[in-house]
Amino acid sequence: MAFIKASNVSFNYKEGENVLNNLSLELNKDKFTSIIGPNGSGKTTLGKLLIGLLKPVKGKILINDRDILTMTLGEIGQLIGYLFQNPEKQLFSTSVEEEITFIMKLKGMDKKIIETEKEKILDKFSLKHLRKEFPFNLSQGEKQRLALASIFVNKPRFLILDEPTTGLDIKRKEILSSHIDILRKEKIGMAVISHDKSFITKHSDRIIEINRGEIVGDRKKQIRSKN
Amino acid sequence: MEIEKNKLDPRTKLTLVLCISSLSVIIQDINILIGILVISIIISNILGANIYSVIKKIKGLVKIFIAIIIIQSLFINYGETIIQINGYKILTDVGLIKGLEFIFRMAIIIVSATIITTSSSREIVQGLIQLKIKYEIAFMVSVGIRFLPILTQEIKDSIKAIQLRGIEINKLSIKKRIEIYSYIFMPVVAGSIIKAQNLSTAMETRAFRAYNKRSSFNELKLNNIDYLIIIGSFLFAILILALYLK
Ligand SMILES: Nc1ncnc2c1ncn2[C@@H]1O[C@H](COP(=O)(O)OP(=O)(O)O)[C@@H](O)[C@H]1O
Ligand SMILES: [Mg+2]
Repeated sequence: MAFIKASNVSFNYKEGENVLNNLSLELNKDKFTSIIGPNGSGKTTLGKLLIGLLKPVKGKILINDRDILTMTLGEIGQLIGYLFQNPEKQLFSTSVEEEITFIMKLKGMDKKIIETEKEKILDKFSLKHLRKEFPFNLSQGEKQRLALASIFVNKPRFLILDEPTTGLDIKRKEILSSHIDILRKEKIGMAVISHDKSFITKHSDRIIEINRGEIVGDRKKQIRSKN
Repeated sequence: MEIEKNKLDPRTKLTLVLCISSLSVIIQDINILIGILVISIIISNILGANIYSVIKKIKGLVKIFIAIIIIQSLFINYGETIIQINGYKILTDVGLIKGLEFIFRMAIIIVSATIITTSSSREIVQGLIQLKIKYEIAFMVSVGIRFLPILTQEIKDSIKAIQLRGIEINKLSIKKRIEIYSYIFMPVVAGSIIKAQNLSTAMETRAFRAYNKRSSFNELKLNNIDYLIIIGSFLFAILILALYLK
C-alpha cells in the first residue's frame, strides 16, 4: 500500500500559471525514490504539497490513506519528516542539544527519557562533539545533520529530503550517505529531491523525473541497471 | 482629484508620512485619530498604494495588537466597568478607549507607510540622499522598507516549520504558546542577520562608497505640486495640533 498518494494534483502560485499539472504519484515506504528534474520544474513545490505546507488547487493527497486536508501539520510531522532545501529554516534553538530536546520538553515528556533520547540521537547523527554549539554557526553539512536529528525526535516513518547534497563536499556527502543507509535499514521510507547523479545512483530504487510540473519518467531499479 | 502616482517626489511622500505619523503619536483623542486615519486612507488611495495587499501581509500582527489591547485594558481599572467577573473589573470604558486608540494609531502608521511603497527603492534612496542623508543610511532605509513583506512571509514559514516538528500549536497552553514564539523568531532573526552580512559583503566587493561624490542619472526635482503638498501637510499638521492643544 502506498504511504503517500497524490491523485490528479494541480497547483499554482499565481492563477492561470500551473506549477504542477494533474500529477499523480504513489510513494512506498520500502523504496528510496529520487525525484529529479531541471530547476524550476516544480520539485520543491511537490515536496511541500506532500507534507501539507501547500494545499493543492485541484486533486487529493492521502497520507496513510487519510486525506491530508483533515490533518494538522503537527500530525503530519509525526508521520513524515521533511528536510528543507535550506536547513536554516528549521533550526530554532540556541544550542545543538536544545534543538533536539525542546520539542520533547514542550510536550511535557519525562526528564530522564528526554536525556536518554537526546544522547541516542546525538550519537546516531554524529553530533556529540557539537552539543554546545550555536546551530547557525555550524557548517552546511552539520546543519543538515542537526535538522535531520531534530526531525527524528518524532520517529517519522517516511522522510522527504529536498536537495540534501547541495553545499556538501565529497566527504560530507559520504557522511550523509552513511546516515541514510542506517535509516534505510530501519525501514524508513525516503523520497529525495536531487540533482546529484552519483548520490541518486547510489541509493535509488526508483527515479521519478519531473518536467514543467508533469511526470515525464518513472524508472524502477531493474530497468536502470540494464542501462 | 487624480495625481499620477509616479509624479510625486519621494521626499514629498516622506513629509506626508512624517506629518501623519507624528500626529498619530502625539494625539490622544480618539475622534481626531479616526479622522486622521480616514484622511491617510484617502491620501494613500489617491497615490495608488495597495492598502489591501499590505493589510493582508500583516494579518498576523493584528492578533498581537489585540493581545496588547486586552493586556493593556486589564491593567486599567478606573472608569465605568463594562465586563466584570466575580467582582473583578475585567474591562472598563477607559481601558476599552485606550485600546481602540492604540489600534487606530497603529493603523494610521501602517496606512501612511504604504504611501512610501508607491516609490521605487531607487527613488527613495535618491530622495534621501538629496535630503543630505548619507548614502549608506539611505540605502539601508530603502532595503528595510522592501524587506518588511519578506519578513512577514518568513515568520509564517517558520510557524509552519515548527508545527512540522509534531507540535499542535492550537492545543498548547498559553504559557507554552508564548514559549514557542521565542523559538519561531530564531530562524527569522538569524536569517535576517545572515542576509544583512551577505549584503554588506556584496556592497564592499562592489566598491560601495568608493567615490565620495556619486553622480546620479536621474536627479530628483521638486515640482510645484510637491511644494504645495509639503507646505500643505505641515500647515495641516500644525493646525490640527493647535486645535488639539488649545
Ligand atoms: N513562493 C513562490 N511564489 C511564486 N512562485 C514560486 C514560488 N516558489 C516557486 N515558484 C515557482 O514555481 C516553479 C517551480 O518552483 P520549484 O518547485 O521551486 O522548482 P524546483 O524545486 O524544481 O527548482 C518555478 O517557476 C518557481 O519560480
Ligand atoms: Mg527546489
